[in-house]
Amino acid sequence: MGILHKVARSYCSNEQDRQDLIQKMMIQVWQSIYRYNPQYKISTWLYRICLNVAISFYRKNTTRSYKYTRITEQTTQIPIEEKTSNEMQIILLEQFISELKEIDKALMILYLEDKSHAEISEILGISISNVGTKIGRLKDKLKTQFSQFNK
Amino acid sequence: MNELEVKKLWQETNDKLDKTLARHQLNTKELFQLKSFHFISSMKPTKFFALFTGFLWVGLGVFILGNMFIYTLPETNKFFLFSASIQVFLTALALIIYLYQLITIYQVDISDPILKTQKRIASLKTSTLWVTRILFLQLPVWTTFWWNTKMFQEWNTFQWVITGSITFAFTFLAVWLFINIKIDNKDKKWFKLIFTEKEWTPLMKAKNLLDQIESYHDEGKENFNQSHQ
Repeated sequence: MGILHKVARSYCSNEQDRQDLIQKMMIQVWQSIYRYNPQYKISTWLYRICLNVAISFYRKNTTRSYKYTRITEQTTQIPIEEKTSNEMQIILLEQFISELKEIDKALMILYLEDKSHAEISEILGISISNVGTKIGRLKDKLKTQFSQFNK
Repeated sequence: MNELEVKKLWQETNDKLDKTLARHQLNTKELFQLKSFHFISSMKPTKFFALFTGFLWVGLGVFILGNMFIYTLPETNKFFLFSASIQVFLTALALIIYLYQLITIYQVDISDPILKTQKRIASLKTSTLWVTRILFLQLPVWTTFWWNTKMFQEWNTFQWVITGSITFAFTFLAVWLFINIKIDNKDKKWFKLIFTEKEWTPLMKAKNLLDQIESYHDEGKENFNQSHQ
């Protein structure tokens, strides 16, 4: 369940969408069980399914989010709660992830989940050296974002 | 902020998530009370409907035109016969593409690597453009099916100029659209006029995803070349 929730959290900002996505992932996992290839780790197989469903779902659903996300006057008047620096950093990290493109987002989740470059390359279907280069770029972007925040 | 700190932050959000899940006793049973679903299944009903009506149209066309070719060819209006045959042939071609899309939908293996699966789904979306291109090619035959030999004997120049211009304009438009309906022209006004937002948005998203996938592959090639120099 953990993998499903982590992926859903990164691809959907809305709770309702998140529940829908988790449901879809579970069905796909269920329907794909007979295709499981023991040559891969179970987590690799699970990540592939979850991320594939999430990316497809995200593509369909962005239109819906745009339709329903509207900043009203009321929203802007809500006082911002005092947040600790740590909480702010978590928000910043989540915001950073939410702004990434679909495939970069998948890569970022796998990197943060401490997956090896070899496993990431198996999940995404790209070479290990390519994984390294892409992660390096994402880390640079993330660093810039945090350093701007710290200023 | 270094790598370890960022990963620690992510772990903290995971811990929070675990706690929330435990607190709400997230109902797995509820999640399993599911409607029948396939993640790309929403593409299917329209394609099935298109296939069904398409087969009816083509089937009927083949039956009627076939009979004309076999039994009444000498007395049949050739303009009608050939225009209708071209129309039915082009519709059949579009049907084959639809069929190909439907088969591909069933063949998508969701447990394949992300880039492979997503490329397949996105390519499927953009192949919809072929159907539109082929269907537009039918335009000229809709202006010629009613022509007949009598026209050649009785019509004056003015009537021919009008009829000929319309057919020429439709032919030009059909060929021009066939050549130009491609994803590279997505930002052109006429392109947005042809496709409604409902058709256009998924196409654009599919194209963006294909671009992302391409950028991953290009980078992979660069890395490969560098390591082999």
